[in-house]
Amino acid sequence: MEYVALQLFNGLVNGAFYALLSLGLAVIFGVLRVVNFAHGALYMLGAFAAYLLLQDFGVGFWVALIVAPIGIGIAGMVLERLLIRRLYGLDPLYNFLLTFGLTLMIQDGVRLRYGLQGQPYPAPAELAGSVSAGLVAYPTYRLFVIAFSIVVCVAVWYVIERTRLGMIVRAATERPELTRALGINVDRWVTPVFGFGVALAALGGVLAAPMRNVSPLMGSELIIFAFAVVVIGGMGSIAGAVVAGFLVGVLASLAAIFNPALENVIAFALMAVVLLVRPAGLFGSLEARS
Amino acid sequence: MKRTIAGSLVGLLLAAACGGGPGGGPPAKLTDGKLVIAVINDQSGVYADLSGKNAVEAVNMAVEDFKAKYGENALGGKVEVLTADHQNKADVAQQKAQEFYERSNADVILDVPTSSAALAIADVAKAQQKLYLNVSAATTVLTGKSCNKYTFHYAYDTYMLAQGTGITVTQQGGKSWYIIYPNYAFGQDMESSFRQAVIAAGGTVIQSDGSPFPNTTGDFSSLLLKAGSLKPQVLGAMQAGGDLVNVVKQYNEFKLKDQNIKLAVGLLFDTDITALGQDALAGTVYTTPWLWNMDDQSKAFADKFLKRTGIRPTFAHAGNYSAAWQYMDAVRRAGSDDADAVVKQLEGYKFSDFFIRNGFVRPEDHWVQHDALIAQVKPKSEAKETFDYSKVVSTIAAEKASRPLSEAGCSMPK
Amino acid sequence: MPRTSGKPTPSPALEVDGLSARYGEAQALREVTLHVAQGELVTLVGRNGAGKTTLLRCVMGLHRESSGSIRLNGREISGLAAHERARAGLGYVPDDRGIFATLAVEENLTLPPIVANTRWPLARIYETFPVLRERRAHAGTKLSGGEQQMLSIARALRTGAGVLLLDEPTEGLAPVLVQRVAAMLQEAKREGTTVLLVEQNLRFATTVADRHYLLAQGQIVEALANQEVIARESELLRHLGV
Repeated sequence: MEYVALQLFNGLVNGAFYALLSLGLAVIFGVLRVVNFAHGALYMLGAFAAYLLLQDFGVGFWVALIVAPIGIGIAGMVLERLLIRRLYGLDPLYNFLLTFGLTLMIQDGVRLRYGLQGQPYPAPAELAGSVSAGLVAYPTYRLFVIAFSIVVCVAVWYVIERTRLGMIVRAATERPELTRALGINVDRWVTPVFGFGVALAALGGVLAAPMRNVSPLMGSELIIFAFAVVVIGGMGSIAGAVVAGFLVGVLASLAAIFNPALENVIAFALMAVVLLVRPAGLFGSLEARS
Repeated sequence: MKRTIAGSLVGLLLAAACGGGPGGGPPAKLTDGKLVIAVINDQSGVYADLSGKNAVEAVNMAVEDFKAKYGENALGGKVEVLTADHQNKADVAQQKAQEFYERSNADVILDVPTSSAALAIADVAKAQQKLYLNVSAATTVLTGKSCNKYTFHYAYDTYMLAQGTGITVTQQGGKSWYIIYPNYAFGQDMESSFRQAVIAAGGTVIQSDGSPFPNTTGDFSSLLLKAGSLKPQVLGAMQAGGDLVNVVKQYNEFKLKDQNIKLAVGLLFDTDITALGQDALAGTVYTTPWLWNMDDQSKAFADKFLKRTGIRPTFAHAGNYSAAWQYMDAVRRAGSDDADAVVKQLEGYKFSDFFIRNGFVRPEDHWVQHDALIAQVKPKSEAKETFDYSKVVSTIAAEKASRPLSEAGCSMPK
Repeated sequence: MPRTSGKPTPSPALEVDGLSARYGEAQALREVTLHVAQGELVTLVGRNGAGKTTLLRCVMGLHRESSGSIRLNGREISGLAAHERARAGLGYVPDDRGIFATLAVEENLTLPPIVANTRWPLARIYETFPVLRERRAHAGTKLSGGEQQMLSIARALRTGAGVLLLDEPTEGLAPVLVQRVAAMLQEAKREGTTVLLVEQNLRFATTVADRHYLLAQGQIVEALANQEVIARESELLRHLGV
């Protein structure tokens, strides 16, 4: 029983990363109609930025948690201005290819300098301890990851659901053309929204650094899951991305109790079921109907 | 362009000047006027750091040093080093091997990490009747079920790792084991080798679980929690590379050490220690065929390698140098690059070099037996330089580190 | 170019001159020229596929493959992006009402920025349509079809836009609701708002409009005074295929 409960926490930790990544993907897809394949590479850059800040500048986790997402978010905005912008209006496949190419370039760039094996990154001293939980000592840092990502998701939800900016994002996500016709300069929000989505990915990367191997490929593996989560939640649905993220994390961890191999399969099984039963995704269909 | 021409001119002059070289003897006869050594390994994936491009560099060094010792023309022609990335895929490996043997007239294939890819090339070597010296793969199947006349297994295998780490840790009091392994050829092989070794040393394996491979989430927490509930004395982690790094990171995170669950690592490369930070692994005992800082001879090679590549060599790098050298030496002794003649030179050959100690090429299964090391990761405070990670605890004699022929299950077609 | 109502009134709020549009190979509009005077309510009638919706979309800047001149209060706007046209004083009520499912009723109302002095602040809208106030926190698409139509028109009025483009606001509405739409438009007109209305319902059109343009196969074939439409109702109905 205790084991199951602890697995639930592990599921929430994994779910936190899925949620952060998918949330960024959903916001970007919603407003830009761009499937940002580079999201995983930008997540990886977040982790590397944390590592570099510590290694070369002695800047610790807490500062990195703020600085890295902002810096990489700005880099994302530059990317949008220089490259991604040029392909709007074309078949979405072109931007998919572009961002896929960017992924390879970013990954190989990092690999060239740091190799593939990864770099060490310690948990911040304040959270390095653990909370006694019977079977094992549950790492404090993991509890922090759960709490922090929930706070971030709620904050993003608040901005999206309760502010005028969020209203514009929702409108532009649902019907970009009509939103323009109603006097909203959607294009003005495109770059910041992209930057914001990228910053969320980078934030996930910083959070992952103390738990996961900081290597150039860490994101390329996770991104596939994030895509599955976005599809499960409903393309472009903000709430869907968050709920599906945590859902997939928890289900996968619980499935692993029965068979470790299931952990990697469950997201795709769930995606297949959702596509069959509710093609628009858990939340996508709710919004489209009614 | 100019430089290449100048370079080849210098080479020609040197060749003319040195003649047969200090080694003496007539130069070997090469079937097509040149000796072609092909290195197939992972140059972009998880094993790219532990062998990869720098293993090719090690082979180049071996070729240069060999010429310096025996003369430019000792082998009767020029030596060419080719290389390909197999992306850790068996089908790619097979296709590249076929291409090298058939179209590029490769005389030997070296390295080849990733067990499935390594085994695929063994079949090609057998069919093509060309030599294949595997260095970086761990599977014992190479000298077992898949053994053949042209395939040699050079540096290490899962049996050696299990004999070293499995037996040592069990004898030191780690009687009950929980083994976690990546669920593919290498991991399954490691699991069975360790299980046998632990039981042979008087321990028990409470349970073993396969983890998905590749593990896309990088998450091993469910297995580590299970370890917490099973309460074994030893957690045996058979994962390699990035997976191992994640396991150790999360083992430390869950503080399993504080619950007296000791970590035993099946296969550890210096690159893993870099990724984890030396202190995260300090005290970990593991088995390795070679350490760059084990003695002066090895350090000399490591210094040369560092100058050339900017890093200290892993055992795979050193092993490729050694394998390339021993292959060329066999060609020199045979006076020919004819595969059967070279095999004859290699079989039963006894030798030692900076990498191989008390080496013996077993004619029955082509396992190159040699001493193995029990090593321990040092705390950073004891390190003399960045890459000074480990020290030798003890040596396992070559025979003990090698699987008994009776267990090999190899019936070598002659 | 037939022009029964003579010269344009002195101050046209909206002038379309030589507007052509295409969808790939298909020509959707051919050299359309029309004008709507300040405070005038003009309808655009025609069969399905005649190009009425395309014409509104072109004016709004939503259809890219077009050429010709569009002037709003004398200012050329054909080079402006859609949101700039909206801010220049064009209000748009699309044919599907354009209510956002992800926005609450009140958010639907307040999404477009106010572009001029409005006579329709939120308070007045809620006073006129209490149901919108009651359900202001609900998703916009939870309203009935008629309520959504009121919401869409109210949204356009609230911005203070001087010229409204309405695409079949009565489509699918019960007669009592059609009357409400009519009353709303008449009130807006009294307050000086200019309206270009796409309409299939001739009865409704003649109730609210000053003049009419008949559009067929992407061209203006006739400009009709209100009286003419009433007189030729059955002939026109046949033409419209209603």
